[in-house]
Amino acid sequence: MSVVVKKDESGVYQRVVLKNAAPHHYVNVCLVLEDESTKLSGVEFKLFIVSGLKSLYGEVGAALPFDVLKYDEDKRSALLRVYSRGLVKLWSSLTLLGSYQNQACAFRVLQVSPYLLALTGNSRELQLD
Amino acid sequence: MVRVKRRYLLCEVNVSKRSDLLQLDDRAVATAVRAAVALTHGDYGAAHCLIGFSVKYLNAHTGMVFLRFPKSCYKLLWSALPFITSIEARGKKIPCFLNCVHVGGTIRTFQKFLIRYNTQQLHRMLPKCKDEEEKQQVREAILQCNLPGGKKEASEDELESEEDEEE
Repeated sequence: MSVVVKKDESGVYQRVVLKNAAPHHYVNVCLVLEDESTKLSGVEFKLFIVSGLKSLYGEVGAALPFDVLKYDEDKRSALLRVYSRGLVKLWSSLTLLGSYQNQACAFRVLQVSPYLLALTGNSRELQLD
Repeated sequence: MVRVKRRYLLCEVNVSKRSDLLQLDDRAVATAVRAAVALTHGDYGAAHCLIGFSVKYLNAHTGMVFLRFPKSCYKLLWSALPFITSIEARGKKIPCFLNCVHVGGTIRTFQKFLIRYNTQQLHRMLPKCKDEEEKQQVREAILQCNLPGGKKEASEDELESEEDEEE
């Protein structure tokens, strides 16, 4: 949603106010499983998220386009990108996803931002010596 | 103001064989719609269907179904109707598709629309009639529909007798 405010028609400057203009939202998530030793490949990870979307939002929800930009197999953490209007659907289905192959699981959403650069600075992992 | 607003959808059920149409009942149509919504929109859509959705009226002879949805989510549930491919009634699966004819807010406007629609169907049937006796009956039915208190039941009774004869 963008709001353009023109201060003065004949004036020399023009003020433009943009709200939530970024088309994508970037989500940093981590999957926590009951059995820590299970390994998930990148494809399995994406399929798992799609199945969560499908159970909550049906076929239309499962068609929501999102990308896994980075995936770390050991820590099971990933960087997802989704269109801004689909953020609520994705986040709510990640919240309600409870079990992976009969074991309890949970998605921890660590960071969400419309700008990718903002995800680099993370005060949670800040090490103060 | 404080009124609960709803949207009513008038759909026509199209089947390949007319004899199958007579076996429909409103509960079968309701389960078919709920299943299609659950498939297309998941748990979220199924939850919308729980409150405020019902099949208000079903005419098995003409295949008209009246669905009631809450106003806040009727577009979402409407978008799931084209995904209905069959309705299961009395143990038999009837392949069909729903064709939405009218959307409105009150049952009274629907009654007026249905009378106009049925008269149009009768007009369309007139050239298709095979012998003079049927033509006379159809003409009488059309004349009856144009009465000021034009009753819905009168036009429908004529319609179903026409269809029974044409089979």
